[in-house]
Amino acid sequence: METYQIYILTSAVLFVIGMGGVFMARHFIKKIIATIIMGGGVFLCFVSFAQRDALTFADPVPHALVITGIVVAVASAAFALALARRIYQLTGEESFTNDK
Amino acid sequence: MSVLIDLLLAILTVYLALQCLLAQRLSQSVFLFFAFGLALALAWVRLGAVDVAITEAAIAAGFMGVLFLDALRDFSPAVSENQEDLKAVQNPPSKNATKSLLLPRLALGLGLGLFLLIALEAVWKTPDGGGLTAAAVALLPESGVEHPVTAVLLNFRAYDTWLEIGVILLGLLAIYAAGGINLYRKPGVAAKDPLLRQVILFSTPVLFLFGAFLLYFGKTGPGGAFQAAVLWGAIGIMLHLGGWPVFAVLPRWLGQLILTLGLGFFLVLGFLFMARGDALFEYPPAYAGILILIVETLAAISIAAALTTIYANINQMQEEPKQNESTT
Repeated sequence: METYQIYILTSAVLFVIGMGGVFMARHFIKKIIATIIMGGGVFLCFVSFAQRDALTFADPVPHALVITGIVVAVASAAFALALARRIYQLTGEESFTNDK
Repeated sequence: MSVLIDLLLAILTVYLALQCLLAQRLSQSVFLFFAFGLALALAWVRLGAVDVAITEAAIAAGFMGVLFLDALRDFSPAVSENQEDLKAVQNPPSKNATKSLLLPRLALGLGLGLFLLIALEAVWKTPDGGGLTAAAVALLPESGVEHPVTAVLLNFRAYDTWLEIGVILLGLLAIYAAGGINLYRKPGVAAKDPLLRQVILFSTPVLFLFGAFLLYFGKTGPGGAFQAAVLWGAIGIMLHLGGWPVFAVLPRWLGQLILTLGLGFFLVLGFLFMARGDALFEYPPAYAGILILIVETLAAISIAAALTTIYANINQMQEEPKQNESTT
């Protein structure tokens, strides 16, 4: 079994764990963490394929895309966190509830 | 042997991700998230992507973890326990509620399992396209740098990188909008612990030097603008924590100039190339090396400033309710 094959399978598992977390988690912060884990799965898939297509070094294009993607994911997660804290300040709620 | 390491690392990553989402307390989740990010960084080193590993460890685990840790003070466990106690008193948990949740959970579990199988099959059977390694290697001498990832980031796909700097700025603007303009500038409260202040003052030049090294080393090896930017952003965050908020001290126009410098210079450079008759971001090979270094430096300064400001804004959000309590 090649190295990249292990991580390709891991990436699919991570994506599904993250997706389950987005549905099941109640707290805002856990939901945001779940989306980041989902993103981690996608990035792992990209980098694994870069390793598969390696010649003398791994394919640099997916690497550059993943670096870009990580930074964009963090920027959007920071915005989500700001929104979550604002919601908490204004309503005192920590999760989406069906009560009201 | 190496397969064993990879298998263990893969199991560890999946285990940490699961534990992170299943943890009872929020603080556990956040610390497991740190660990998950670092395990993922190790996985990337195993896959030969050292640049991605540095970025992951620094931005995704480090910076995001700091933001989550800061948010913990807001969503403190004591508050949530109190709320749960209140809720438990108001409406005692009924068996009907747990029963009605059973069916959706079952459906969700089945759906996720099915999705997992489909995803596994899809990634397993992805056809071998050959990748773009050969094209990148062929054009590397013209790019002005020796490290292929830096060449792709700042020369071949410079447009993506430019947009990315824009996205960070956009995220900052969105956070301003979410937090309200009254959070813009606040004088810092000096840290009371003299040891903390000394440590911060001591590590500032070290971090700056290390960031500059990563920036310059990006030309020949793993490193570059983003990794350097996070280290420089860490300086800003630590100074903020120590009671020297950098962007509250600087004049407002100067702060805004620093924030937009990377994006603006990149754009002006691109239009200059277009005026010469080339494509956007098509560097002339003779000057490509020095131009990339200038662009990287300015971009790193801007991203560091943006990360500092994002942290400062989100950090100051929690102080508002106290003011409201004191005024009302």
